[in-house]
Amino acid sequence: MDKLREMIINGTNKGIADEVTKLLDQGRDAGSILNKVLIPAMDEVGDLFQKGEYFLPELLVSARAMQNALDVLKPKLAQQGIKGAGRAVVGTVKGDLHDIGKNLLVMSLEGAGFEVVDLGTDVSAEQFVAAVKEHKPIVMGMSALLSTTMYTMKDVVEAIDKAGLHSGVKIMVGGAPLNDDYAKKIGADFYGPDCIAGRDYARSISGGSSSN
Amino acid sequence: MSTNECVSSDIQEEGLFRGEDMTSSERVSAVLAGKEIDRVPFFPFSLGFSALNVGYPVAAVYSDPEKSYIAQLLTQRMYGYDQDPFLGYAAYGTYEFGGETNFPTGNVIHAPSSIRFPVKSEADVEKLGLPDPEKAGMLPQSLQFSKLQKQRGTGISVVLTGVFTLAVNLCGVEKLCIWLVNEPEIANKLLATAADHILDVVTLWTHSFGPEGLLVQLWEPAAANSVISPRHFERFVLPHQKKLHERILELGVKHILCHICGEQNKNLPYWSQVPMGSPGIVSIGNQVRMADAIQRFGDKCVIAGNLATELVGQATAQEVYDTAKACIEAGRNAPRGFILMTACETPPLTPPYNFYMINKAVRDCMNHL
Repeated sequence: MDKLREMIINGTNKGIADEVTKLLDQGRDAGSILNKVLIPAMDEVGDLFQKGEYFLPELLVSARAMQNALDVLKPKLAQQGIKGAGRAVVGTVKGDLHDIGKNLLVMSLEGAGFEVVDLGTDVSAEQFVAAVKEHKPIVMGMSALLSTTMYTMKDVVEAIDKAGLHSGVKIMVGGAPLNDDYAKKIGADFYGPDCIAGRDYARSISGGSSSN
Repeated sequence: MSTNECVSSDIQEEGLFRGEDMTSSERVSAVLAGKEIDRVPFFPFSLGFSALNVGYPVAAVYSDPEKSYIAQLLTQRMYGYDQDPFLGYAAYGTYEFGGETNFPTGNVIHAPSSIRFPVKSEADVEKLGLPDPEKAGMLPQSLQFSKLQKQRGTGISVVLTGVFTLAVNLCGVEKLCIWLVNEPEIANKLLATAADHILDVVTLWTHSFGPEGLLVQLWEPAAANSVISPRHFERFVLPHQKKLHERILELGVKHILCHICGEQNKNLPYWSQVPMGSPGIVSIGNQVRMADAIQRFGDKCVIAGNLATELVGQATAQEVYDTAKACIEAGRNAPRGFILMTACETPPLTPPYNFYMINKAVRDCMNHL
């Protein structure tokens, strides 16, 4: 399964679906492919990103390869009743149409075995609340790229608190204009300087739990 | 919508600001000429803030050249800072090439952003034509704005993006990043098209207003190291950006203000190879140390920066004042000159007192002529 690992790390998308299919045909267990190859390979990619050896282009091609590999595995994983790391809800806040940060977080969480509900961009506080009520995630991620839209994150946290949902979901925030102080000020649980930090935080609270 | 809208008859002629010895235009001209100045100039990069300051919605600075000009000029006169009105936004190019840009409307407070890119595939790159710089997208409004700059005798500028940010605005950052790795020729072709378009627009401005007094502003946030590696910057951005600057300067333009936004430390060795003019102005974000910028560019360029915009919008007034003073002290002895500038656009909802404190810091650090 080394070849599959290298394809993820190098971002080789062409042929990856065939490679996964080949391994399944050889009798490899879907859960093993996910947990012993795909997730560790994405972890390596994440490490290279955090060390400053990989940047967005490398992260994106690896994540794309990972997603295509996962698409082949998902039906098998479902058949086997293999649960993921948990469920996450992610969106870019109201007034902000930038999606790169959010998309990277989605890819990183999926690469770590999370089921991700992607709300898209320009997401209102009401929509975040509704999504948390419906999907019962263990973590909710908000992204904002603009200093003009980051203020709406406070409204979202307040809405989640008011709906009595904060005890069941951790709120993480990220985006270029944010910092740890701001996250604390608005009542968020975590500020992630990049998508890998967000993924690691989600993992830390997952601890093997899974969403209902 | 506000009912107390300002009109052009509200504009007074420029005089000296409370006890100063130079007007803003004299001060900026002196910095560019390497002459003595009474104090460090301040460029606050304030568009939305200016609109709200005079009772306009933020949307007005993008949709209405006259209101945009009035709002900025009145705010400049009120606070006595030195950046003349300008018109631009980082999402430039999407609309001009046939895509769709979301411009703020009503009382919504945000900058324009790209929502539908004109380039969706490699085939789109191959067949992408250059838009007419007189008619495409928001360029007619930009031309109208520059005519106001000329009529009023304030600095004439054209604000565009750098080659990489324009390419991002044509196809989206994810697609371009993937092309850098998997389709480098396509990426290069798109960057070349971006450079050609920027040159077309600058050429039109030089023909319309003359090159000598024209300030060309090129904003390049997308090429930051939070997006691409210095290796990709060297291979893809540097050749196109350098050639573009050379061609702009060949038109007779004297000064390029290059806003290299965000985390660009690893790109600095390459940016320093890009000619900026005589002198150019290099605007840095708070992620770049002033000392590093002076080392890289200080012999050829005026350094502008690097007051953190998040701080301006969120910190206490005293913190803003102290940080502004620290920026001034760090930059004021740059060999070719220094302009205090915010790292990026002053947030529209910046507390006015915070904004005042930056201006106070500038005046508390007067030079002694």
